[in-house]
Amino acid sequence: MSVIQAISALLVREHSVPEHSHALSRRPARRLPALCLFAATLLAACGGGSSSGGAESTPLTAGIAQALGLQSTAREAVASDRPASRYEAGRFLTQASFGPNDYDTELLLKLGYSAWITRQQTLPATSHRAYWEASDAAFRLLTPPGAAGQDQVWESFWKQAASGEDQLRQRTVFALSQIFVISALDGNVGEQPRAMAAWLDMLGSKGFTTYRELLEAVALHPLMGLYLTHLKNQKADPITGRIPDQNFAREVMQLFSIGVVKLNPDGTPVLVNGKPVETYGPDDVAGLSRVFTGFSWACPAAPSNNCFNNGSTGGTNNLSDPDRYFKPMVGYPQYHSTEAKSFLGVTIAAQTTADPLASLRVALDTLANHANVGPFIGRQLIQRLVTSNPSPTYVQDVAAVFANNGAGVRGDLQAVVKAVLTHPQARLLGNTQGKVREPVLRLSAYLRGFPHTSVTGGWKVGNTDSNSTALGQTPLRAGSVFNFYRPGYVPPGGQSAAAGLVVPEMQLVNETSVAGWVNYMRDNLSNGIGQRAAAVNGVTQPRDLQRNWAFELALAARPAELVSAITDRLTYGQHTDAQRTEIVNAVTKIVIPVLNSGGTNQAAIDAAKLNRVYSTVLLTLASPEFLNQK
Amino acid sequence: MSKSPFVSPASRRLFLHHAGAMGALAGAGAPLALNLLAAGSAAAQTAPDYKALVCLFLFGGNDAYNMVLPTDTASWQAYSTTRNQAPDSIALLAPGVLANGAAVAASPARLGGVLPLNVLNAQGINSGRSFALHPLMGTLQTLFNSDGRLAIVPNIGPLIRPTTKAQYGQASYPKPASLFSHNDQQNTWQALAAEGATRGWGGRMGDALAAMNTRTVFTSVSAAGNAVWLSGQTIQQYQVGNTGAIRMAADSSGRVYGSADLATALQRIASRSRGTHVFEADIAAISQRSIDAETTLRTALKPASDAAFGTAPASGTYSPNTDPKLLYDNPLTGVKSFNALAQQLQVVARMVDAGLAGATGVKRQVFFVSLGGFDTHDFQNRSHADLYARLAQALRYFDTSLGALAARGNVTTFTASDFGRTFTSNGDGTDHGWGSHHLVMGGAVKGGDLYGRFPSVGLKNANNNNFDSSADQLGNGALLPELSVDQLGATLGRWFGVSDTSLGAIFPNLANFDASKRNLGFMTG
Repeated sequence: MSVIQAISALLVREHSVPEHSHALSRRPARRLPALCLFAATLLAACGGGSSSGGAESTPLTAGIAQALGLQSTAREAVASDRPASRYEAGRFLTQASFGPNDYDTELLLKLGYSAWITRQQTLPATSHRAYWEASDAAFRLLTPPGAAGQDQVWESFWKQAASGEDQLRQRTVFALSQIFVISALDGNVGEQPRAMAAWLDMLGSKGFTTYRELLEAVALHPLMGLYLTHLKNQKADPITGRIPDQNFAREVMQLFSIGVVKLNPDGTPVLVNGKPVETYGPDDVAGLSRVFTGFSWACPAAPSNNCFNNGSTGGTNNLSDPDRYFKPMVGYPQYHSTEAKSFLGVTIAAQTTADPLASLRVALDTLANHANVGPFIGRQLIQRLVTSNPSPTYVQDVAAVFANNGAGVRGDLQAVVKAVLTHPQARLLGNTQGKVREPVLRLSAYLRGFPHTSVTGGWKVGNTDSNSTALGQTPLRAGSVFNFYRPGYVPPGGQSAAAGLVVPEMQLVNETSVAGWVNYMRDNLSNGIGQRAAAVNGVTQPRDLQRNWAFELALAARPAELVSAITDRLTYGQHTDAQRTEIVNAVTKIVIPVLNSGGTNQAAIDAAKLNRVYSTVLLTLASPEFLNQK
Repeated sequence: MSKSPFVSPASRRLFLHHAGAMGALAGAGAPLALNLLAAGSAAAQTAPDYKALVCLFLFGGNDAYNMVLPTDTASWQAYSTTRNQAPDSIALLAPGVLANGAAVAASPARLGGVLPLNVLNAQGINSGRSFALHPLMGTLQTLFNSDGRLAIVPNIGPLIRPTTKAQYGQASYPKPASLFSHNDQQNTWQALAAEGATRGWGGRMGDALAAMNTRTVFTSVSAAGNAVWLSGQTIQQYQVGNTGAIRMAADSSGRVYGSADLATALQRIASRSRGTHVFEADIAAISQRSIDAETTLRTALKPASDAAFGTAPASGTYSPNTDPKLLYDNPLTGVKSFNALAQQLQVVARMVDAGLAGATGVKRQVFFVSLGGFDTHDFQNRSHADLYARLAQALRYFDTSLGALAARGNVTTFTASDFGRTFTSNGDGTDHGWGSHHLVMGGAVKGGDLYGRFPSVGLKNANNNNFDSSADQLGNGALLPELSVDQLGATLGRWFGVSDTSLGAIFPNLANFDASKRNLGFMTG
């Protein structure tokens, strides 16, 4: 038994202290500190869960770990397929879903990781477009008739995130939407909410096939064509010097497939004379840009010029395909470059008859088979789901599954996601493990942990762009194709930078957004979340998401139990003792009046109890312990 | 006039610029204005020792080929020929062409001709050439031609050392990494290295001068998200909300859910790290700065509706979205629209005001604001027209606000961007390039001139899209920069008060450039 296995076994035993439900009547026994004294210097495995015992533990950087030979050992360790506790189940569900709830926690404890994942991957996809279309149909019955918009895309997103059963699929969709980025901040995208919903559906279906299939669906999606401007892109005019638009050609390489520097299978850059080697140069971009010419709308008269330029047939009927904003773009040979197309060491010979789909096939095959894709995409999926700084072995193991799923298939994305989530290092705890929770996932964890009901059934969370009054993040509204944050973002000046760590989500964390988050949730707790339905007979309607706090209110007189019920639930045991004490003390200071003889102060009692509940939740949500996903 | 609007003019020429601008004012006010001008100059020694640098980042890669245009015959012909491509010509029209109100919104015909610049050409390096600005930059034309507070730095970009076209073609010749890539070149402009760099030259100037500030948290301020330009070795950026600092949790009476104890506990929990996780320590540190800074700013900042920066509403609460000072003429709709960039500059102006008043404990500040959307691969006419209308209005608004604060000479604003773009058109837009032209604005700027040789622009080769006709143009006509970001930064840094030694450390490649060109000369003093 290796050192790591020994520690793991001990940890498992410690975590196996029986826990009955989230509503523990007493604190779960936690004897971790003593163990940490032993383990911390090697593994820093006790992290924030035991500050009193492991406070002086050294951050485990990849370098130290490698020096100790720990990474390879960890890789060989056989992780248990079953979570050892509700806490461990909660940790996993934070990685694999929009947050732990009772249902999935129980299911996971019963099924184990692999079976839970398999079950999730086979659940039927819930269609965002179907939701949007049903909404739109309802709007059209109103007087005067309305129409669904972007709000209804987010309604569907939040409905699935908060209450949907196909959690892993939707969580994967959200992760993929931050690698293959389109943004409604671009009006050309934002004006097509139905197609935005279809884009999410596409990620949910193609994201469960192979990378090659997904890449093709991305490349031919009209919203991507609008966003990265290859829709209606024309071949060069050699006489005038007009060139093809290079936008998609560049970004598909930089962001969606291979990245800017050559990678080893473990995701580290290949170094020649100590310097990284660029994967492509301007000539590759120019060559590949010729491929992405002559693609435009699906259209009844394709490939007519009118269809190419306007998406409609022209003439008296002027027909167009009502689904053209999400049906894959089609080839228009007359606008496709016939020149030879050279990129990444491959040349598509000059074509006597322009064949856009043949050119595309070679280009996408070349990209999908590039050695960089596995480590490049694999590392980002690890970052989106599990940890910001995966070790080289973690990346390499995931990349190996990308290269071959065990049945000879390359780019099997279901297998890749499963490899990400079940890797032994996804279970590691430590001072540098995990990731900062992005704002959308903070709110989703809250909604999963403390289920709300939607008054209208519409989950009207709405636009959450503002970082001073809301989340500072709305799905499908990143600032650019470079997403809300970069995989390589290093927050300057802090401990992470000193330790050589990247923390992508910290790109959204600043002095405004930290206050905005707390204020948003303070308000949400006391008023509910989201938009209000239109006033009825002059009566203002409640905000759409409401929660009955009866269960927690029953504990309000006993702050320690209240904190067990709330804080432990939100942090699945990854809180600190000091944090608990802080919250218990603060909540205790909210005095619950004694019922007077006339019973006239019941309202004040109820209000004080509610404030205790709200305060416990808010103090937890505001704590760094919660904002960090360990 | 307790605060001087002008640092003492370093040259008679600049004085005449100011005097000329004043003289242009009609009526009886002009002599008084001139007197005030003279008084302001004399009073300069008692002006507060306060300086601010404002980086205005144009995200996406600004096509400066359509911002500053050479209008001499040969250049204009090359420009018009190259950029007039189907289906949507992006070739702007010659000076003097009247706008055609019936043409498509934002099309060159609708915009009318480019706006001529009266270039002083004091260095004699752009003789025989003439220049103009984009048609929607009328306010900037005035700032350049009449007010003398706007200068242009042509053909600048990241460089390791001076580079010729032949050297560019040599694989071994040192060049910045990942040219043409958005994120990497944004980082290189801001931090002189590709993505992953953690120290920008704005923040490092803050490091060098931090001893002048008693409240270092306000040394480096963003009104536009996290920007590596603002981060130094010890200096970290502070993010101010566009409406001012956001108070965490507590209401105006300092309570959360009616409890002051709870407000205190909440701030303590948010701003302290109890475990040993490094991410938690970093998050807690930001919350601590948020709380500390807000405590100061809630009283230090004047309201946005103050006449220096905004317009007090006739009744009700102030709404920035309807403040006439923050509206621009939207060329796509023809109506006034809210200009978020102006609002960013509004909070900067409020911070400058507080800085001048000594309320924030700073004598040197670097600020970051931004405008996104410059990646004009298509629909360039529409996008660019809208962006330039915003840019021109916002800069003019900022200049006016600083004027109201008598702080023009204390604040220097410069533009930066990922890169310039191709000279060639892709039919309705442009692709990624390298060198670009940039603007520098302020009362301490020797305006009305170009500080650098304007590049030659030619026609493409007959057989391919290389530009053998120009020593300054690469494939597709992208500009090979002549001036480096280091030279721009060092020029600004010297004005800011950073020592030559520190400048050498902040800009390690500066030593690769000729000693006479390490200061580009566009700043007084």
